[in-house]
Amino acid sequence: MIRSTDLFSIATSGINASNRLLNTTSNNIANVNTKGYVRERTEFKSQLVGGVDIGTTERVINQFAQNQLRRDTTQLGEFQAFKQKTDGLDNVLANEANSISTGLSEFFAAIQTSSDDPTNLASRDLVLSDGQALLRRMQSLSNFMLDKEQELNLEFESQVNRANSLIQSIGELNEAIIVANGNARFDAPGALLNERDLAINELASLMSIEVRESPNQNDSKVVNLTSGESLVLEDGSFNILELGGDADPTFKQLQLATSFTGAKQNTTLNIFEDQLGGSIGGLFRYRDEVLNPAQRDLGQLALAFTDAVNTQNRLGMDLDQQLGGDIFVAPTFQGLTYDGTDPNLSIVGQITQGAGSTLTDADYKITVTSVTATNLPDEVTVELLNGDGSPKVDESNAAIVFTNVLINTTGFSELPNGLEIEFDSAGGYGVGDEFLIQPTRRAASDIEMATNRAEDLAFALPIRVDADLDNLGGATLVATEVTNTTVDAALGGQASAFDGSGGIHDFTAAPGGAVGAPVQIDFTSATSYEVRDVDGNLIVTVTGVTDYNNLLEQASNTAGWPAAFSALDNYPGYDFSLEGEARAGDSFTIAYNTDGFNDNRNALAMGDLQRANTVQLSSNSNSTPRTFHEAYASVVSRVGEDAASADVSLQAAEAMFADSTEWNQAISGVSLDEEAANLVRFQQTYAAAARILSAAQDMFDTILSVAR
Amino acid sequence: MRISTNQIFDLNIRSILENQRGLSDTQQQLASGKRINKPSDDPIGAAQVVRLTEELDKLTQYQRNNDLLASSLEQQEAILRSINSSANRARVLVIQSGAGYTTDADRKAIGAEIEQIRNEILDLMNSQNEQGEYIFAGFQSESQAFEFNPAASGNKITFSGDDGTNQVQLSDSVTVQSSTSGRVVFEDVFARLNFSLSGSAGITVNQASISQQGTFDNFHKDNYDPVIAANNEFRLTVIAGNQIEVSNVGTGAVVDTLDFQSGQTLNFQGIEFELEGTVGNSVNFTLNDPEKKNIAETLNDMFLVLTTDGIADGDFREAINDVLVGIDNGLAAIGLETSSLGGRLNVAQSIEETNLDLEIANKTARSAIEDVDYAKASAEFAKQETALSAALQTFPRVTSLSLFDFL
Repeated sequence: MIRSTDLFSIATSGINASNRLLNTTSNNIANVNTKGYVRERTEFKSQLVGGVDIGTTERVINQFAQNQLRRDTTQLGEFQAFKQKTDGLDNVLANEANSISTGLSEFFAAIQTSSDDPTNLASRDLVLSDGQALLRRMQSLSNFMLDKEQELNLEFESQVNRANSLIQSIGELNEAIIVANGNARFDAPGALLNERDLAINELASLMSIEVRESPNQNDSKVVNLTSGESLVLEDGSFNILELGGDADPTFKQLQLATSFTGAKQNTTLNIFEDQLGGSIGGLFRYRDEVLNPAQRDLGQLALAFTDAVNTQNRLGMDLDQQLGGDIFVAPTFQGLTYDGTDPNLSIVGQITQGAGSTLTDADYKITVTSVTATNLPDEVTVELLNGDGSPKVDESNAAIVFTNVLINTTGFSELPNGLEIEFDSAGGYGVGDEFLIQPTRRAASDIEMATNRAEDLAFALPIRVDADLDNLGGATLVATEVTNTTVDAALGGQASAFDGSGGIHDFTAAPGGAVGAPVQIDFTSATSYEVRDVDGNLIVTVTGVTDYNNLLEQASNTAGWPAAFSALDNYPGYDFSLEGEARAGDSFTIAYNTDGFNDNRNALAMGDLQRANTVQLSSNSNSTPRTFHEAYASVVSRVGEDAASADVSLQAAEAMFADSTEWNQAISGVSLDEEAANLVRFQQTYAAAARILSAAQDMFDTILSVAR
Repeated sequence: MRISTNQIFDLNIRSILENQRGLSDTQQQLASGKRINKPSDDPIGAAQVVRLTEELDKLTQYQRNNDLLASSLEQQEAILRSINSSANRARVLVIQSGAGYTTDADRKAIGAEIEQIRNEILDLMNSQNEQGEYIFAGFQSESQAFEFNPAASGNKITFSGDDGTNQVQLSDSVTVQSSTSGRVVFEDVFARLNFSLSGSAGITVNQASISQQGTFDNFHKDNYDPVIAANNEFRLTVIAGNQIEVSNVGTGAVVDTLDFQSGQTLNFQGIEFELEGTVGNSVNFTLNDPEKKNIAETLNDMFLVLTTDGIADGDFREAINDVLVGIDNGLAAIGLETSSLGGRLNVAQSIEETNLDLEIANKTARSAIEDVDYAKASAEFAKQETALSAALQTFPRVTSLSLFDFL
């Protein structure tokens, strides 16, 4: 028994201890609604010499529960951000007023109504106004997505700023905690620790992080990204996040930058946004997995539609008896320069006429591989990219790259998959210059009507085939086909036999200059016919005919067909087929369809586009394209799937978050009932300790009275 | 497990919010009548609804096209029926005019009536639809299909349209012809096929005329050569043994050998000859170029014959034969077109019925995908309502318990 302390000291230490306990209890009660507050408890040891020590106050916390909560916070943050954004798109697509599908149906229904009565201007007007309405639907959907993209960039900025300030305050709190620890040896600096935990948790809701105790054992914490990059270092220094964008300045990328001061060189480091987690990662994932693909699919659909309708209209003849023109204006795309390429250099792109069905949703990275003496590119490498900048892959998962693509030094040059480009600066290009073209990204917003005149709808075909009245045979016309109406008096490769002023080339205008374009077929027997031009000159005699399909194509495969015709891509650009049996002397004449107002053949072909497979599925040219409606339905369905799966993930994340919150609360939360009990208990111990004091006082008085 | 005070509140509030969310979803389904209110409610279903709605929109349009087609075909049918009855009336008059007792005055009276019928038929051939388009003009529907020019040499009625015909889309794969060119219905009609004598060497021809038009028509069709004119000339040469040899002048081929008695009639391929001649003598006849005449033109020919005075009986008979064959050929072409119109109307009707069936099927399918099952949703609603009210009721009781109240 070495208890040497007197009753007074014991009583005092007991009163002090009870006081501290009441203090702690009161603090717990007072902070019951404080965010991030961890209940505290004061513990004592009995003193060897008697009495109780001054005790230590600590937070009641479980490291594992805390870590679990942090991970679940990250998950919840990611799915909340992803779901909230995806829901926005989901709701817009759900709105009937935005349905591209309804717009398409109305447009094609108007074409059919119009084709039932092709001279009716009112129904033609309806085609144009329904076309306009369809464009508006596409625009509003596309503009919504572009707005979302802008909003997203602002949100990136504010979230990254928030993350940076959190990283900074964690670093500062680390320092403060070291100092506080040094000052108060017994009590942990609970308020600072709570604050740091709060900051770490908030950072965890922004991105996925790992937190470790500092190896220096000084109670400071080290924070790094789950992928390993350090954010907060042990000595209180830290790295910050930055937003940048290569080539496309509106396409933000995340980088980590060191913030050294003094002589040390600062560096930056790219981060994989998709693996970032948290709400920043959720936003990046939304952009890369939902918004960008939907934008590009919509753009692709819009461009394919525009090109298909324009191409068909160009094959027809309008109510002014001219060859058809464009109904919609397809936009041109200004290319962007990558870092390291002179930003003043320009490149423009557009859709190759008639190749809309080969267009994919890919972005194009174009690298100059060779230039001429005047510094104009003459050869490039083309890489197809996804919206997030990763390479498109083919069916065997290899990146799609076209090397050694030759470029014309003037005018547009065709690239694979329906795009053509022109380097339109005067010169100054160099090998290694890199450009980015995004054909489908904004396209749906940029398409406009090319005409407001209902007469410009080319519902007729520009030619008609008439059987001679004196024909004795039973052959009748079954199909007339027009495949090329390009007017080119200079007879470039794409020229057709149409002269653009209501006629078909005679021998003076036709290539070769010897004979004109074929306009007459005279049967010399049931199995042979002569092809003549408009002046009756014999072009070629076809013998051994077994069927009457595409009579001009058969003629073009016969020896004697002018080489100058074959040299062009598609000349004359029309053909027809008969059925039945022709007799010698029968004759069929092709003529420009002058006054053919009531003709609806091209309108029917235009209506058929609704069922035609015109929207390319992937970059693989072997895959079968889809119809407009199918393409739209798949956008709707994919966004819907994303939103639905995000909903499931979010529910799971919410459940897990709730669970780990429970766990933490169960350990660290304040229970008022418990504190009430403690309050009563500690009041009683206080009273007891005070009673010891009065007992000691009595004893002292007793001794004094004995001595008196 | 230890329960902290905040936990009690959090737990209860969370379950109340969850119940409210479910209740609101079900309420929305019940209010809109739809199970799919946004694509994420059922992504696959939403895509199917897009496709089915497209199908239904198309079917609506096809039915509209069908109605238009039917009315336009019925209009054409009515026109052709009118022409048919007028032409039949004309046919009766033509036969009447050929009766032996008719005088010039009678003929003129009949001619006046034929003229009226010609005008009526010409007017019908130039029929316009409700848009003012000439129905039988082909693609060039803005200009009159048939022009009548009495002063013209040759055919007085000329077709100024083209062969163009329009189609109407009735289903994804079926288009039906909605118009017919006047060239096919009226113009592409053969006038009576005939022959003419082309020189004789020693033979006297007492008579040479077609007695059996059908037989001659077949002979003409089989032998007429539109390219080499000489092949259309045939020579009848009297040869030894009371025979006559028929040969083709162009090819020299012997076509037939017939028994021959000078001054007796002989019949070759529907032509009745009465020839006088001896061995070595010959006579040539040539197949006339086939002519095409529309029914109004044929009637105009008749009108001209009837109003010309002093026409020889033989010529008059020939003219009547020409006209009767012309009218019959014209009516045959109209009959063919009428049956084709009927056929197309039948097709249109059967497609209309198919489309109606498809419409019902598609609507049922769409409804099954996107419409709410009221019984199920109502039951779900009641269940969620009960859960929510239970949560609301227990909340104040659980949270009002505090030890402080008892101290």
